[in-house]
Amino acid sequence: MTDKERYAVQIALVKEECKEVDEDEVAKEFERYENEFLIPPNDAVRSVILKFQKVSGKETESFPGTTARVEKKVDRFKELGSDDKNVTLEVAVVTYVPRVQMVRGEEKQIAFGWIEDNPWESTDKRERWDFKDWGAHSENLRPNSIVRLEGVSVNEWNDKRSININRGSRVTVLREGGPAVPTLSDEPVSIEKASENEGYVNLLVRIISLKPDVITKRDGSGTIDIFRGTLADSSGKISFLSWVPVDHKVGDLVKIEGAMIRKFRETPEVNVNDRTKIEKFHDSNFANIEDLSKATTSRISDLRNGMKDVIVTVQVESWQSRTFTNSDGEEKIVRSGDVMDPSGRCRLTAWCEIEPKTGDFLHLNGARVQFWQGSPDLVVDNSEQIQNLTEAPWDAINPENHWVQITLSDLVNGGSRRGVKTTGTIVAVKNDSGIIERCPECKRILRDGSCQDHGPQHGVEDLRLKFVIDDGINNASLILGKIPSEKFLSMTQEEVKEQISQRGKEDFIALIRNKILARKVVINGRSLVDNQGAMILAENIHLDTSTNEDAANLVMEQWGVLL
Amino acid sequence: MMNQVRFSRQSAIRIFAQEYSDANLPLEGVGEYAPSFIITKLGAKVNRALFGGVIDRFERREGDNGPTYSGHLRDATGGVHRFQIAPFQPELHADAEELLARFESGDRFLMMMIGRARWFESDDGGIFTSFRAEEFTTVERSVYVNWLVETSAATLRRLDAYNSSLESENSVESLKSAGVPEDLIEGMILAKNHYSSFDPENYKVGVLQSLSMALSSNSEIEQMLISTEESTSPATSENNSQTSDDVKSDSKPSGDVDEVILNVIRSSPNPDGVPYDSIVLACVEAGFSRESSEDAIEDLRDIKCEIIEPRFGFFQILD
Repeated sequence: MTDKERYAVQIALVKEECKEVDEDEVAKEFERYENEFLIPPNDAVRSVILKFQKVSGKETESFPGTTARVEKKVDRFKELGSDDKNVTLEVAVVTYVPRVQMVRGEEKQIAFGWIEDNPWESTDKRERWDFKDWGAHSENLRPNSIVRLEGVSVNEWNDKRSININRGSRVTVLREGGPAVPTLSDEPVSIEKASENEGYVNLLVRIISLKPDVITKRDGSGTIDIFRGTLADSSGKISFLSWVPVDHKVGDLVKIEGAMIRKFRETPEVNVNDRTKIEKFHDSNFANIEDLSKATTSRISDLRNGMKDVIVTVQVESWQSRTFTNSDGEEKIVRSGDVMDPSGRCRLTAWCEIEPKTGDFLHLNGARVQFWQGSPDLVVDNSEQIQNLTEAPWDAINPENHWVQITLSDLVNGGSRRGVKTTGTIVAVKNDSGIIERCPECKRILRDGSCQDHGPQHGVEDLRLKFVIDDGINNASLILGKIPSEKFLSMTQEEVKEQISQRGKEDFIALIRNKILARKVVINGRSLVDNQGAMILAENIHLDTSTNEDAANLVMEQWGVLL
Repeated sequence: MMNQVRFSRQSAIRIFAQEYSDANLPLEGVGEYAPSFIITKLGAKVNRALFGGVIDRFERREGDNGPTYSGHLRDATGGVHRFQIAPFQPELHADAEELLARFESGDRFLMMMIGRARWFESDDGGIFTSFRAEEFTTVERSVYVNWLVETSAATLRRLDAYNSSLESENSVESLKSAGVPEDLIEGMILAKNHYSSFDPENYKVGVLQSLSMALSSNSEIEQMLISTEESTSPATSENNSQTSDDVKSDSKPSGDVDEVILNVIRSSPNPDGVPYDSIVLACVEAGFSRESSEDAIEDLRDIKCEIIEPRFGFFQILD
């Protein structure tokens, strides 16, 4: 009797589990167990099956707690199985949203968000998964950072896989991201604090305005009834949008649990849905609606794209009206002008009939803010929103020299503004300063004689200078158009062209460097700030004339230094 | 929704040579375009810096890929800012040649420079910092003095932050509540984990020197220009000690002490090299401070590569 025949029953059992095994090999193994290890064939079946499963590379069924968990290192999400544990991989953190969740009757601070694999490559080469953070890793899981995750596990639910970052997982920051998302607390936060980040918050606020509204679906399939309004506390106000009916009225003090802060354009907004809890709250010390409405009056420097229900007072500098035909063939009139307040200047557009005179003071209630050419501008839709003040709220501002002085840091960290004046040192003269060619159609700069939209063109020559201005903590690009460039260089555009053609571009750049690099300058102009950084369009630039003695004395005074 | 992470431009830290050359903690950026930094003892995170001084040394070396220029700008704290212009920066070579011609003709002048932090690590793990020039220009005195004032303010701000951090735990939250400005917190945490305790008074002395220069007549800066010019002729080795006070003894031109060191080694009969202690002794006898002599030996060994240390503590001329 051969081994194969002798162990036929056991071999059949092994073959049930491991289909591709060689029967002779299995027979040999049983023989070995029987003779070498002194284990009878029936008792050896389990061991033999395990052995052949391992040989064939199949996942072995391990007994919980008896085998050490093996670390699995992967580069991409697609390499992961649905029940992989103790996984190590590098990811980019896209979002991190903390929230409080009930876990087995206990309130737990958790967070969820998006991560992407292949973090060192561009986003189109990455895959994005959800994750849940059970281990309070908010300090290390900052949006925009790249981290190495160790000891995380895969979770599969409804055919969707995600990563669980556990209490025992390790998160190592490989590249710093933005600021950490603050952890949630049950305590309501101030509107000012809530506005800093997107995510879930609890608020204790008074309803300042509330009205039903209708959203028309983009695909034309119908409308959704919603509520819009404004909430306020002593730290500020914020608009809100509710997808469910709101059973409270204007003036009510309410506690809102589980509201979602979302950004609409550049403005944070509270989103309320069916999981949000709103209940009436009693606190006689909470600021009343009159005070809160007063406190929420904006200045021009506070305006951000997307703001609604803005209350602001402005002084009119100029006013025009313009007739145009809209896409429906109707003739429409739009009125607009330049307006100012002590904090700056902007444009005001009115879709209603008002004819203010230069120097009038207008009080606007319920205006909205829209971006136009990168600056936040005020828009009013009906004349009820406008009140022409008889009494001047401030001494009339002279538009000729109305420049609001702000530090470069405030400018870089604030919103886009017109009419600002700032100071900094020039730390770079860009090589594309000088004569450029613009597309005659759209004024965009031509590259190799060709416009991005309009193809090859005979360009229109223009002069501009590009610098970087820096105060040691922040920096901004600085662009001078033709007029300020000519003034700064004391040369006309023709003279610049002449000089470049005679002595070369490098010589021209060197000339500018000698004139302005490492010098402190004062700039008047407007700022455009977005998430790529800040840019200043200068209307005027001149070297700082304050003396070094004064500056040194000021420094010593500020830091209490004696020589 | 997410666009690729962009690194915004790093601001130019205003920093004196003293603080930067003391630093030996690099923070290497991980990934493409991630910026790297040098972290100073006061917690400045330097990727880009705006610095200035009188040109003290400038030379060209020809390499396989083209010329490398390197030089020193000495500022009011007495230290030097080391900088290089690399072969792959041809756009700066024309200006560098012009400077070199001026420098070699014996002219000395004030310069301002924007540079990116770089470093190299010696075999024994020492970190040597310098800058790669980005843009530079010669400047008139008032521009340089303005930088002295601004850099004094920036240094005092860091000193103030450092002092506020002393009582505080080394974490973001604690430092924030201790009043450390946001832009200094990360560097402060790294610095405090890395550097052993030190006396920040030295940096204050540097600031006071700079401020007094900004306030006093311009004679001191002229003095600086003159004394560097003198140092180019090796004969006038000791004249300076009479004109400069104690605080400024550090700013004695390094050219002289280099000569002493090289002479000691050259004149030694010992084929194994000259012991460290006897070199320092010779320098001290020649009127240099112990500290500046030690710095000069390191400088000759690691930066200028004129001497080598084949055996620990013994030096030979590198032929």
